[in-house]
Amino acid sequence: MISLIRSEIYKISKQSKTLYALAAILIIEGFVIMSAYYQGAGIIDLLLDNLKDSFEFRGNLLNGNLIIYLILNSLWFHIPLILMIIISGFLTSEYKDKTLETVMLQPVSKLYFILSKYIVSIVFTLFIVLILAVTTFFISYWIFGYGDLVVYLDGLNFFKSDDAFYRLIYAFLSGSITMVFFSVVSLTLAVILKDATKTWIVSAIFLICSNLLLKIDFRNEVINELFFSKLTDSWQYFFYYEIPYSTIYFKNFMLLGYSILVMVIGVLIFKRRDIQG
Amino acid sequence: MILEARNIFKSYGSIKVLKNVTIECHRGKIYGLIGANGAGKTTLFRILLGLIKQDSGSIEINSQGIKPIGGIVEKPALYGYLSAFGNLKVFAQIQGLKLTKDLFCQSMEQVGLSPTRKDVIRNYSLGMKQRLGLAIALLNNPECIVLDEPFSGLDPMGIFALHELIKKLSSENHITVIISSHIVSELTDLCDTLYVLNEGEIIKSGSTAQLIKENVTTFKISGKNLEMSEVLKDVSAVFLNKSALVSPKSMSISEVLHKLMKEGIEITACIPQTDLKALFGREPV
Repeated sequence: MISLIRSEIYKISKQSKTLYALAAILIIEGFVIMSAYYQGAGIIDLLLDNLKDSFEFRGNLLNGNLIIYLILNSLWFHIPLILMIIISGFLTSEYKDKTLETVMLQPVSKLYFILSKYIVSIVFTLFIVLILAVTTFFISYWIFGYGDLVVYLDGLNFFKSDDAFYRLIYAFLSGSITMVFFSVVSLTLAVILKDATKTWIVSAIFLICSNLLLKIDFRNEVINELFFSKLTDSWQYFFYYEIPYSTIYFKNFMLLGYSILVMVIGVLIFKRRDIQG
Repeated sequence: MILEARNIFKSYGSIKVLKNVTIECHRGKIYGLIGANGAGKTTLFRILLGLIKQDSGSIEINSQGIKPIGGIVEKPALYGYLSAFGNLKVFAQIQGLKLTKDLFCQSMEQVGLSPTRKDVIRNYSLGMKQRLGLAIALLNNPECIVLDEPFSGLDPMGIFALHELIKKLSSENHITVIISSHIVSELTDLCDTLYVLNEGEIIKSGSTAQLIKENVTTFKISGKNLEMSEVLKDVSAVFLNKSALVSPKSMSISEVLHKLMKEGIEITACIPQTDLKALFGREPV
């Protein structure tokens, strides 16, 4: 199993698409920073226009913490989409190039092979989120400096700079669980569909539907609490004044449960299926 | 016996791809599986290699090795973005084998490839990929290898080189080799035993020499002034450019050749032509 994981990591490290994934994430980050640099002050003014009549604002609200929060919001769509495309490609490219057949012609367990794919996909996801977080914190503080964070979440919430720093770190940690869920889903879709283009389309639809369903009130408490799409926003909860830790823990544990369930489905399908060219 | 597949049945929906197929392979011999396109050769090989499951029937491989059977199905499928070393490293690693420099050089030299090439294998020719695929199939020393259409797409030199390599693996390493092809000439001088697969059924099997002998009815004779020969006219030969196709019925080919020599015809070649319809068909010649 360890040797399978090592060989998967070796393959990923040698593929150009890994570099493309990293480049895509850094480009998104760069765009957010660039647009904030040029338009950020105007947006802040627009956001606080009414409040400025009643309150006095000191310091610069267009600071590193706000930029990190803006980049953090790419966890809604951009980052999971890139991850789903890259991670599903870990398997669909093996189907397309028929290297999966060559692998299965060696004395290798199908169970261990697909498990190693899931494990490496999770590790890769965590690595990408880590890279995103580290570069975001570094560049944002370097260019925009420190300052209090203003966030619009059911109203405007203000956080002291030190407090914002820890909330942003926890949000990245919590968001990485959501990213793992989407990555596991994409790999399972790859197991089912085998074809890269079909998997990309279905992954994108899944992501869009998941985001849309998050906003819908199902008028049923159980569904509203337990349905997977309702669990993908735990990282946003760190930007309420009182952090609802129990809700965050519940959502993350449930999402990890969903991830394991989706993974088990993928493993069972892969194990049962013939390896066909 | 190293491998025995008994009463194998396989269907895809209503299409019966394999019907009661039985083959037996002994250690160190070369077996040929011949049949027209769509006869079921690749499906049988995929079953032998464990890639797909048969609907019924049994497969027994008598080997105590870590890797009892290796092979290549259709074209060798390798990681184009890796070098030969990278590919061998990945395929060795997944089966718990450490690819040392010595093992790498030994594997490459075994299949006639240079271990000094460092570029990615998408630059390799098909013949070189076939050889690298074979090197991967031979990792962990399987006692039996299965090669599906290994000559497909190779030039004559590539076919010759692969022939020699397969013969060497069989004679020196005592590896059982099972090869499929739809081209008879690719297998006739290589295989000890032939199985003929037709619409999913083994319709003929036996020693290659015997099967080919039974299914040769025509000979291509080449020589000078063939059109002057009375003997060839008597046996209703079909004249081509500097050669004639002869299907003697009233006398044997050796008698025809003997009479041609008596007529003073200089013969440069006499090549038996396998009757594919007869070989691939169910009726005896």
